[in-house]
Amino acid sequence: MGKTFTVAFEYPSGETEEVVVGEDEYVLAAARRAGLVLPSLCEQGWDLACAVQVLEGEWDNGDARRYYAEDERAGFALICTAKPLSDMRVRTHQTAAMRSERDANGLPTPRGT
Amino acid sequence: MEASDKPHASGKVPAGDTTQRVGVEAIEARGVDVEQLVEKLIDAAGAEFTTYYYYTILRMYLAGEEDYKEICEDARLEDRAHFELITPRIYELGGTIPYDIRTFADRAGCPDAYLPGTQDGSKAHVRDEIVADATPAAILEVLLEAERCAIRTWSEVCDLTFGKDPRTYDMAARILNEEVEHEAWFIDLLSKERDGVVRPSGHFRRGEPGDAPYSKNRGFYNP
Repeated sequence: MGKTFTVAFEYPSGETEEVVVGEDEYVLAAARRAGLVLPSLCEQGWDLACAVQVLEGEWDNGDARRYYAEDERAGFALICTAKPLSDMRVRTHQTAAMRSERDANGLPTPRGT
Repeated sequence: MEASDKPHASGKVPAGDTTQRVGVEAIEARGVDVEQLVEKLIDAAGAEFTTYYYYTILRMYLAGEEDYKEICEDARLEDRAHFELITPRIYELGGTIPYDIRTFADRAGCPDAYLPGTQDGSKAHVRDEIVADATPAAILEVLLEAERCAIRTWSEVCDLTFGKDPRTYDMAARILNEEVEHEAWFIDLLSKERDGVVRPSGHFRRGEPGDAPYSKNRGFYNP
């Protein structure tokens, strides 16, 4: 593994867990390897099931199948296809919030995740 | 005979009331969030429908690879069969598919299975143009990932309905059976085409194109 970053996952309960993620690794894959249980569904950066709010740090979601500049500006990442560009702190379980952001911007999204 | 001898002859839904559904009430009572389930089924139906559409294109570009083409055709027709199977269940549960097909495609639960080399479908069509990146291996990769998304989708529906909603569970399990077979086919073909190795699917050809042995065994319901 080359360069690594630390990603802190903040759960709705307030608990936080930290995981080391390689620069070429998807955040969700690293979290799973570390034993974290996080939601996901399509795992192709499409359906928002794995959405997080990025509280600190930078990321690259270029591999997501559907991801908009508005999503990034609003601080939402799809971690199944996101690589870290720095240490990060993220709030998990943000599917509904990201869908609201898509709706507010008139952007498409599945409704059932 | 006393009414108590027939405990299922009445319930919370008043006799003659057509505004409520016992078929919905019964699964809600067992813990199913029907509103959420319907939304998931609509997303899933959208994914099956768009996949059917995109596979129509993908199979055209497998010219000369007749075995690949036939298997893509099986998966294409079976995904259509899945759409046909899901849709009645959405209405039974009080839902509807979107009135506008654009809305339907936009909310599909899985990505568009674009032909490789078309810039996610945005490439302008030029008559008889060669789409250089639409190689058999690239097409098989698209097909494989589409099937994987479907497996994840139907596994989730099975999880949500197991032991609570036997009708939706049965439908989801039938579809899942076929999606798992589709994945096995495309692993088999892609391994040989791209990697030069054999990873057998364990399957042989369908009896007829799009046979859908699990999801289309009732011709009247899903012709």
